[in-house]
Amino acid sequence: METVLSIQNLTKRYGRLTAVNNLTLNVEKGSVFGILGPNGSGKTTTLGILLDVINKTSGDFTWFGAPPTKAVRKRIGAILETPIFYPYLSAAKNLEIVAEIKDAPKANIDPVLEKVELLDRRNDKFRTYSLGMKQRLSIASALICDPEVMILDEPTNGLDPQGIAEIRTLIQQIASEGKTIILASHLLDEVQKVCSHFCVLKKGTLLHSGSVDEIGKGPVTVEVDAVGEQIESVLKSWDKAIDVKLEDGYYQVKLTDGCTAQDLNVHLFDQGLIATHLLTQKKSLEKQFLELLAESENA
Amino acid sequence: MLKLLRIDLLKLANYKAFWVLNGLYALLIVGIPAGVIEFLKWLKSAGAEFDGFDPMKIPILHFPDIWQNITYVYTFLKVFLAIIIVISISNEFTYKTVRQNIIDGMSRLDFLKSKLLTILMVSMGSAVLVFLTGLITGALYTPDMAFADMFSEIEFVFAYFLDLFAFLTFSFLLTVILKRSALTVFILLIYRPVEWIIIINLPTAIEGIGQYFPLQAMSNMIEVPFPKYIFQEINDDVNTTMVGVVIAWICLFVYAIYAKLKSSDL
Repeated sequence: METVLSIQNLTKRYGRLTAVNNLTLNVEKGSVFGILGPNGSGKTTTLGILLDVINKTSGDFTWFGAPPTKAVRKRIGAILETPIFYPYLSAAKNLEIVAEIKDAPKANIDPVLEKVELLDRRNDKFRTYSLGMKQRLSIASALICDPEVMILDEPTNGLDPQGIAEIRTLIQQIASEGKTIILASHLLDEVQKVCSHFCVLKKGTLLHSGSVDEIGKGPVTVEVDAVGEQIESVLKSWDKAIDVKLEDGYYQVKLTDGCTAQDLNVHLFDQGLIATHLLTQKKSLEKQFLELLAESENA
Repeated sequence: MLKLLRIDLLKLANYKAFWVLNGLYALLIVGIPAGVIEFLKWLKSAGAEFDGFDPMKIPILHFPDIWQNITYVYTFLKVFLAIIIVISISNEFTYKTVRQNIIDGMSRLDFLKSKLLTILMVSMGSAVLVFLTGLITGALYTPDMAFADMFSEIEFVFAYFLDLFAFLTFSFLLTVILKRSALTVFILLIYRPVEWIIIINLPTAIEGIGQYFPLQAMSNMIEVPFPKYIFQEINDDVNTTMVGVVIAWICLFVYAIYAKLKSSDL
């Protein structure tokens, strides 16, 4: 796999505050890479350094295996935080400036506006746009140079559910064209739905980095209930149950690695109990994320 | 280079305030000499007493005096253009578009160059207008035209250009440091009086350095022309030492802008 972005020991300090702490990370070509973290965890600062708008304190990074230059940034389509455009200019004029900076052909302007469904508003001033339209225009602007990498920072921030769905479809569509996408977000659901890889940042420190597919792996938790008084003791005495908790009227049984709800059911049956409720908890990114954060608190 | 200028002009093309204010400035440049003559005519017709002296005979707008006279007056208008520059550059910081320009693939030096090129264009355009205004006004009012005299003090137009370019670069520097347009304009307006107060209060031992202060050096390039009509003193040359000092200041301003842009998180 070709590495698009490689970060080594990147650090950014603001006085006594460390916004990015010794971050090391690789992003492979063609992946949709989610950067997760609570607000203020250093996501935007990291992206700002990668795009040369924020000066790093120490560390290094390479784009496409080469040191960062303005020529490299012309191959990247990026938006940080809110959409930024000249409010008194029309969408088309704004994109003309971007195309001029990026050495992209002006002929690309109309097709990208079409893609984000703003073609009929191309001559309207940016300040007359709604938030959703502004977000879409910034995606159009990131697409104008037909970039190899797209960087999106909270692209669905402040949008209504319909707008979120639209942006998500757009991201999936762009990803399906084989572009590498780096997506910073605090919306876990969003990352799980579109990303192939993810990492978790907290206070500028990398807590975890891996593929989204791996989330489902590892020990599972099964929600169970059965007729009979002795269920709790049966569950607690079972050697394959790591943890048993009663929550909302059901027992939450965390099983050892490799065990499934089927094993649990068989065990109950052997003990003369009939399960009335059996549900394998689908492990979500959200759960994993909260676990990772909790682990880091305890550490 | 041209590409960077084109980018900056694209930003300004539909920015009405920029063109309206520039247009007003151009109108002032063209209008002032005509106004002066009309004022003198009015004085005469109103019967103002000059001890039998005809005010129309003062060669204010005659070649070659006209060059020093009009450029001297025009240097007082430069604040007007500076305000336009301050507003258009501070917009880049308030809208955060400078940040997006860099993200899109400009370097900080590119940003500096593109703004400086616009400033250069405005200064040159203004100097050309001053030249044409001087040429036409001089041709209209000089009683007996001698070709040699027409351009003999033309270097004042160059001094005017340098004065304007230096002052606009200075405004650019203030904007990059202060970022807010209202604050920058305020500081720009009080800077000259403050500098002047410092100069007159300098201890005698270092009194001499006062003339090298940035705005003092700029205004020293074109000396006050009008006393010569009373005292018959001859000071009708551009002060070349001060031209050198002003060029040095311009280099220093540009370097300071670069250093500030380079070191800041945008």
